[in-house]
Amino acid sequence: MAEKVLTGCAGLDEVLLGGIPENTITVLMGAPGTGKTILAEQLAFANATPEAPALYLTTLSEPLEKILVHGQSHSFYDVNKVGVSVFYEDLGIMLRDSGVEKLPEIVLELILARRPRFVFIDSFKALNELLTTPEKRRTVTYDLANVLSSYHCTSFLVGEYSQEMMTELPVFAIADVIVQLIKHSTNVREQRFLRIEKLRGSGSVPGLHAFSIKKDGIEVYPRLLTPPVTPLYAARVERVNTAVPGLDEMIAEGFWRGSTTLVAGPTGSGKTIIGLHFICEGVLKGEPGLYVGFQENPTQLGRIMAGLGWPPEKLMKEGFELMYRSPVEMQLDEVTSELFKRVREGKLKRVVIDALGDLERSSIDRERFSDFVYALSQWFAAENVTCMMNYELTNLFEIHGISDQEISNMSDNIVLLRFREGKKMERTLRIIKTRGSAHDNREHRLEITSKGVVINQVT
Amino acid sequence: MSSPSSNLSPLAAHNSGALILVVERNPVVQRLARYFLEQSGFDVEFATDGLAALARAREVRPRILFTEILVPKLDGLSLCRTIKSTPETKDILVVIFSHLQAGDRATEVGADAFLVKPIDEELLIETVKKLLGVRQHSVGMDFDG
Repeated sequence: MAEKVLTGCAGLDEVLLGGIPENTITVLMGAPGTGKTILAEQLAFANATPEAPALYLTTLSEPLEKILVHGQSHSFYDVNKVGVSVFYEDLGIMLRDSGVEKLPEIVLELILARRPRFVFIDSFKALNELLTTPEKRRTVTYDLANVLSSYHCTSFLVGEYSQEMMTELPVFAIADVIVQLIKHSTNVREQRFLRIEKLRGSGSVPGLHAFSIKKDGIEVYPRLLTPPVTPLYAARVERVNTAVPGLDEMIAEGFWRGSTTLVAGPTGSGKTIIGLHFICEGVLKGEPGLYVGFQENPTQLGRIMAGLGWPPEKLMKEGFELMYRSPVEMQLDEVTSELFKRVREGKLKRVVIDALGDLERSSIDRERFSDFVYALSQWFAAENVTCMMNYELTNLFEIHGISDQEISNMSDNIVLLRFREGKKMERTLRIIKTRGSAHDNREHRLEITSKGVVINQVT
Repeated sequence: MSSPSSNLSPLAAHNSGALILVVERNPVVQRLARYFLEQSGFDVEFATDGLAALARAREVRPRILFTEILVPKLDGLSLCRTIKSTPETKDILVVIFSHLQAGDRATEVGADAFLVKPIDEELLIETVKKLLGVRQHSVGMDFDG
């Protein structure tokens, strides 16, 4: 099996199942501004050493000077490596004199001079455009591939290629690996995704993987897949007490450990407080818990906790973890990646996600969101983490069920909160479903007290 | 393309005179092999098919014959078997190099070494030195000086 080259980006290596196979040709494709050059330079600087240098050939897309200036804004860019283990050459100038037909020959000469282990041509598409006929494009591309394949080096051809070009241009035929970078823009949001279109001789994690461009370079958040082995629910014989007075009695002393509970209700119905109750009381019993929140910022949440008798500082020391993200710029996959990382650390016993709707709005499509919820609930079961997911309903009073059938089906348990009109507006709680367990299905009154939530007698 | 012979490595002087015959039809691989071997002071000749290589080997008796497996007229494995089974050429050291993972097949036909492509300069030169060193040592000469 071929050795693999690490990309300098842990998430991408995970997607590539260990990196890019050595001695291959990779096409890094995407529209302008998607991050191709950053990824290429990140790869170069992560791998280049004086013994295994990188040769970075710029062409007619972006002047070398600009590439150098922009590259230095990232922390991976070690200026001390330039001219020692990372060598830049302006191929554009060389080819202007000799003609693009000479590209393979010139690259071979540069390879002989620098003996690189990594070769980058940025942009290869710009050179290809100078070749006037399809025959010339094919011949030059073939000859270049021959040069890059004959010498012991791993190569990267960068280009502003679109999906449609993949069936037309010869560069895609000679590529062993194709990595496509995509920018998804709406009026208010911009999200970046990456997809492995082709990977000869190796597997990869399929689908779109979100990434962001940060000071440290590109950070990829691999798409969450379901665990390889389906968890055995039957083996979970332990109950997890919610510590909400009155609620545990309705569900045979608690939910199954590793189960996922959907708490659905309109705004103000008590979802957040039930979630806090579940986490805080768990922490006080020695079960570390994570509260993933998108609405209340840490200060607001701390205030609510203190008001209900759960001092935030004390709980933080005892295992309460908070993961807050603003719903405005949030990216589903980034949140997933962070959440998943914390779950896999094995410390957490309880998780609350408040609320699913915020995550849904941060997803580019509905299917992706459903896949995320399903995979996450499976991972919770596999890791024995008991989860509560809050879900906001728009109707305040007339709620007879949850319209989102898919999310309902994925949850082991469903708790429905609503308001009841009368002289005084009352909050109520009803358990709709508990998978593998009996429950009290009557509607109960829910009160919010200075000590949290209390479930009272049947209304 | 310019010849690298004016820029020989310090090792070159020691290796002067050892002829290596390379059987390869890919001009890029020929170019790389010539460059790396000549830099290290070896004399290099090329043949582009197996029959021409066999004829040339009989004629000039190279110290080493490098051959790709997939060459026309007589494939590299058959070429090696013929060279090793012919009294006048059996002492020629044969290295088979290929993208095919065919180390076992190379051993079966009597090759002295097998290298996987693409060409890794360090491995190429190391293999040549090792083969010649062993060879020289067996006849009482220290090739590496």
